[in-house]
This record gives sequence, C-alpha cells and structure tokens, in this order.
Amino acid sequence: MKNSFLLGLLTLSTAIYAQHHDMDSMHSHEGHIHNEMVDGKNLDVDAQRFDTFMIGIDNNTIAVVSVQGMVCDFCARGIEKTFSKDQRVSKIDVDLASGKVLLAFSGADDIDSADIRKKILNNGLNTTDIQIVGK
Amino acid sequence: MINSSSLADNIYWHYTPNINYSLGLDYQKDKVSNEYFPSARFTYLINRKNTEKSQRNLYFKTGVGLNNSNNHFYSLAGDWETRRFFTSFSVKQSSGAGYDMFEQSAKVGVAPYLGDYGDLHTWLMLQTKKNDLDNKQITYPLLRLFKGGALIEMSYHKKTDWDVHLMYRF
Repeated sequence: MKNSFLLGLLTLSTAIYAQHHDMDSMHSHEGHIHNEMVDGKNLDVDAQRFDTFMIGIDNNTIAVVSVQGMVCDFCARGIEKTFSKDQRVSKIDVDLASGKVLLAFSGADDIDSADIRKKILNNGLNTTDIQIVGK
Repeated sequence: MINSSSLADNIYWHYTPNINYSLGLDYQKDKVSNEYFPSARFTYLINRKNTEKSQRNLYFKTGVGLNNSNNHFYSLAGDWETRRFFTSFSVKQSSGAGYDMFEQSAKVGVAPYLGDYGDLHTWLMLQTKKNDLDNKQITYPLLRLFKGGALIEMSYHKKTDWDVHLMYRF
C-alpha cells in the first residue's frame, strides 16, 4: 500500500514536472526571436520586454531603434505620438531604461530607416542604431 | 502652462513647430505693479546635446507686451539631465512693467526612483533664486511630479509663499 502510494506520487510529480518543462520549452523557443542575429550582431534588446511586445503581432516586422537623449517621459511621448500617426505602425514600446524604441510594422516589406531617423530627429533626439527583425 | 509665484501669476500657451523654436502667448498678472500684461513669447533652442544617458539644452527666450512693447524680457536658460539627476539655470532681464528686474535661478534635482515610460515620475529638487528688487537669495525645496503629458511643480518658502507650476503637453 505504502509502495503503491509512493509510486503514484512519483508518477504524478514526474507528470507535473514534464508538463511544466514543456511549458518552459514553449516559453523559451516559441515566438522568441530576441536571440536572432541582425546584420551579424545579436539583437540588442531586453529579452523579456521584447517577448511581451511580440504578443499578438507575430506577422509584423520589428524595428529596434536605439535613441540618444531619451531621458524622460516628455521626450519619449513625442516619439510615441509621431509614430502612432503612421498607419503601418501597429505597436510601439518605449523603454527609457535602455533607450530603445520598438516599432512593429504590419504588412511592411521594407522599413524606411531614414524615415525613422528623421522622425526621431524631429522630436529632438538622435538615432544611433536601427535593427530590423523580419517576419 | 500655469505659473503662480510671489511675483506673478501667468497662463501660457505655446506651440512648437519644430524642435528649434516655439511661439507662445502669455497672460500675466504682475503682483509687484498689480497690472495685467498679455505678451507674445519666442523660445529658441540654441544648443542641444543628446547622449545615451543624458540631454543638455541651452535656450534663449524673449517676450514682448502686446499692449505696450516697452514691456519685454529676455532670458537665457539651460538644463542638463539624466534619468536620475537634473540641473538647470536661468537668468532673466525684465523691463517695462513699472520696474526693471534681473533674476537668477538654479535648480538641482534627484529622482528617488526610476519609473518606466507612463509611470508617475517624481523629482525632489532644490531651487535657489535671487532678483535685484529685494537682492536676497532664497533657497527652498521643490517637488516635481509628472505622468503622461501632465506636470506639476510645487514649492513653499516663508518669504515667497507657494510657488506652483502646472503644465500639460498635448
């Protein structure tokens, strides 16, 4: 009786561990493109933030924009306002801590990096790098 | 933008066509002369330096009375800030409102925590001011809060009473 109980407990805990591990595997590999190489460089983003951003926009092209001078909400608010007027931009994320802006472009085959730089500059800030992550 | 201090109450609207300059209208009640002064204002960004962790600005500001062009001011202001620290200075010469005045002020501030985009941001500051009307320097603490497009600054000094600054950016 005691052995049966222990065997049952072991089986149950193994099953729970396996299910949990599967969930971990999904979390680590499904839809996670923050480890992609872009132009020979690792994608320079906060992985968790990027994954959260990617929820619900799987078929979008993402521009990871590195911005100088984005030290406060007021500076960043202009950027969000500017890009929210672009109908191709489906989602925007501003990360003050890293100085990154994530832009999701829906149905965009070619993202115009020069246009992104110009819009950031018109907000009084400078772009140092843009990494494009394809569909 | 609404300001209320011991010297004046004013409400100010401004429009920024591009980052280099802004145009504005100001309506001020001067508490020294007890008169009202509508004025047009112009702000020009002389220099801005962005780095990965900081931004530095230098501005020239001027304004002229709409009822009497003898009422005018010009000012030089600068600031440097990171997400954690803030410093600024301003010198301003005002003329025509029944008196001439030269004002100097400076602020230093620290953010006790670093909020993310969209959070409530808090700055604890120390401001010092001097003008040549009473020729006394006063220094007092100031609290700045902002969230989204709204900003409020509040300070109190026994000589100048409350100094409140409200701003909303559309």
